Amino acid sequence: MPQLVFLIILLSFQNIFTKEINLFTTRHYDSDLQLYEDFTKETGIKVNVISGKSKPLEKRIIEEGKSCIGDLFFLADAGRLVSAEKKGLFIKIKSQSIEQKVPENFRSPYWVGITKRARIIYYNPKETKLDEIKNLSYEDLSSIKFKNSIAIRQSNNVYNQSLVASLIENNGIDFTKQWLKKFVKNFSRNPTGNDRAQILSVAAGESKFAIANTYYYALMASGKKGEDQKKASKKVKPLFPNQLDRGTHMNISGIGILKHSPNKANTKKFIEFLLTPKAQKHIVNNTYEYPMIETVTPSKLIQKMGNNFKQDNSSKVSTYGKWQKEAFKLMRKAGWN
Amino acid sequence: MKYPNHFLDTNKTLYAFVFVIAIFSIIPLFSIIINSTTLNYSYIESSGLFEFFKNSLIILFWVIILTSFFGVFSAYLITFYNFPGVSFFRYALILSFAIPPYIFGYSLSAFFENYGIGYSFFTNFFKLDDANSFLPNLTPITNCILSLSFTLYGYIYLLSKTSFLNQSGNLVDLGKSLGFNSFKKFTNIIIPSARPAIFIGISLVSMETLADFGTVSYFGVSTFTTEIYNSWFIFDDLKTSNFLSLFLLIFVLIFFIIEKISRKNSKFHKLKNDSKNKRLQLNGFSALAAFLFCFSLFFISFIFPFSQMIFWSYKFPEYYKNLNLIRLNLNTFTLILFTSFFIIIFSFIVNFGNRALKSKFLNLISTLSISGYAIPGIIISVSIISFISLMSNLFDVNLKSIFIGTFYGLIIGYFFRFYSISYNSIKSDYLKINYSIDESAYLLGFNKFKTFSEIHWPIMKKNTFFIFVLISIEITKELPITLILRPFNFDTFSTKAYHFASQDLIEAASIPSMFLIFWASILILISFKSFFDDEK
Repeated sequence: MPQLVFLIILLSFQNIFTKEINLFTTRHYDSDLQLYEDFTKETGIKVNVISGKSKPLEKRIIEEGKSCIGDLFFLADAGRLVSAEKKGLFIKIKSQSIEQKVPENFRSPYWVGITKRARIIYYNPKETKLDEIKNLSYEDLSSIKFKNSIAIRQSNNVYNQSLVASLIENNGIDFTKQWLKKFVKNFSRNPTGNDRAQILSVAAGESKFAIANTYYYALMASGKKGEDQKKASKKVKPLFPNQLDRGTHMNISGIGILKHSPNKANTKKFIEFLLTPKAQKHIVNNTYEYPMIETVTPSKLIQKMGNNFKQDNSSKVSTYGKWQKEAFKLMRKAGWN
Repeated sequence: MKYPNHFLDTNKTLYAFVFVIAIFSIIPLFSIIINSTTLNYSYIESSGLFEFFKNSLIILFWVIILTSFFGVFSAYLITFYNFPGVSFFRYALILSFAIPPYIFGYSLSAFFENYGIGYSFFTNFFKLDDANSFLPNLTPITNCILSLSFTLYGYIYLLSKTSFLNQSGNLVDLGKSLGFNSFKKFTNIIIPSARPAIFIGISLVSMETLADFGTVSYFGVSTFTTEIYNSWFIFDDLKTSNFLSLFLLIFVLIFFIIEKISRKNSKFHKLKNDSKNKRLQLNGFSALAAFLFCFSLFFISFIFPFSQMIFWSYKFPEYYKNLNLIRLNLNTFTLILFTSFFIIIFSFIVNFGNRALKSKFLNLISTLSISGYAIPGIIISVSIISFISLMSNLFDVNLKSIFIGTFYGLIIGYFFRFYSISYNSIKSDYLKINYSIDESAYLLGFNKFKTFSEIHWPIMKKNTFFIFVLISIEITKELPITLILRPFNFDTFSTKAYHFASQDLIEAASIPSMFLIFWASILILISFKSFFDDEK
């Protein structure tokens, strides 16, 4: 029996003896894993990974407390980063090179954005002429002229919550409440499916407009979902909203260093690595997200959707975290299922 | 009866063992009761005032209707009639157990979505121009109902089939002499006498349906379980999640009680099979109709999802390269072996203890272990994490590094979830062994261990393998507990499938899903006979 206990303890602590970092992530990309291997090749530091859903991982980190061997927490939504920050999971990241590379609205003292995502509008050029919608904003989507024409996924989707949170931040609660009431009436169908299903609904002629993140469209256009979906992507055109004012809504994937991280020295190296041109290039070419640093261009498929559009660089993404709950309440009240 | 002194000592030890295991098995239940003391009303208000309750009931209602129809009718055809393929379908229909509802859901939506598999199929083979409008747009609720019904009807099929076979042939003959036609015989004699068995099946289906999260969240339908998640994920309100879980549990317990009562009644319906069932030969149109019914059921529930997985794995071979298949197989295999070992040993101890000690208190807490099966996996994992952290703080020992994010933690998680399967199966086996046998053994001077090893074990050995298979199938399919409690760099087929499905790459998810279905099918195949054991 004592031998068994010893073995158990040994197995549990075996990780301490090697040079490594432990990463919790809610990003499920295989290409991320390849990137971490590159990091290991460069630095000799092994990256151990657990992927999962944000809240259970958050709970696990909190309860494990000081014995948590996790070093970093990588999350795919600004609101989720704020939630982890508020619960005191992170320590401040002090690095001049990070501060120089990442614009202020895409980071907080406790976490830093690594990639960007744009939530945009799609339309069918056969049905709608570009001139009719050229300077469209999210705010305009509540107009009665779009009745029964918009496809969007459900209100429990965190990207929708962040989008509505940004509307609250920019226009106030009362405006957003009224806006939601009218916007929901413009739905072409009961919200269902993921972002790609919304784009396909426009391609199939069921809906006039769809709202979805850009990488879903790129995934279709890449042929990774088969020839038919590639063809379908050609029937749809992307439109970047709010070009005359604050710019298109941007969300981030971001990372923070955990408070009890046993390998703190290596964590900053890892974050800095993720922000190198090489790593950023790797990410954007595989996941079709937008790069965080200026020197890197998005993947060709994303560039084809529209280069040089105006991104919303005035809204701090941390405000999404502030308003998400309120956003969800209002969405539900407006009848957005 | 007067026992020798050493019996009292073993009794104490046994009591202690049973008590500890039984208490341990209901930790998740404690946890949700303790953690659901306050309720955040603002959350419930905003969540569309019990809209989710309505959806849960709609889904439950239709799943019960469909699974009962599929299960009872196919069992009826296969038991009482002869038609082409009958002996094949008899076994083949159980394979639906190998498909987790969420994987059925993946294949359903990939087939029916705009420009999906169905579209490609009809445009390439039938040169249809507008296959999108031709294919039905299934609503999210319909998708959930179909996914759950086609993967769960197996319970009702198996139970009603066994019950039909045990029915007295005389009953059917009676129907004949009363001049009933087949339909009247079916509705007036066969169904009523199989009712208890059908009820048991329905209650199992209901428990699975109510606790399902994978399917409803994939299709985005608000139900009890998704609200449990929403209240936590969006509102950071774990208390409401716990409260809703408790509510769900009470709901499920109602079905459990119905099941118990039905089982009690079913004893009186098990008559000796005094005249052998002669299967009626079906010819012509009715033979074709029976064949088509069973074939469609088998096709939709098994071939439809499985063939899509095979198709994708074949069409997108590039996704193989990122999968360490040996490691995945090994992980699944070790988890199965270790977990079922502990679960089965503990279930034997508790069952044997309950039998030998006859303590009402122990019996009650053991029975409550059913809660593990009805609490959503994600809530179970949270209660484990909280429990381990509480114990660590209480006794000032670092249990966290040993049990959170380790292999041992996973085994504990599975233990909570699947213990009741094994506990209840062994319990029902024990009920079949008359207690007077034990008493005779004690009188002959057998000690408790010897009574178990030489009298009980030989009788129960065979069924234990079947329990092992049942637990293994469940472990292979398990997702939420594995996702949260697993160690770094540790994957199973289900976490891999989830991982790819989250990237919107069902094509890549198909490979781990295919393996998952493959292993579950193999497990079912090697224990085929046990599924029909009651028939003999």
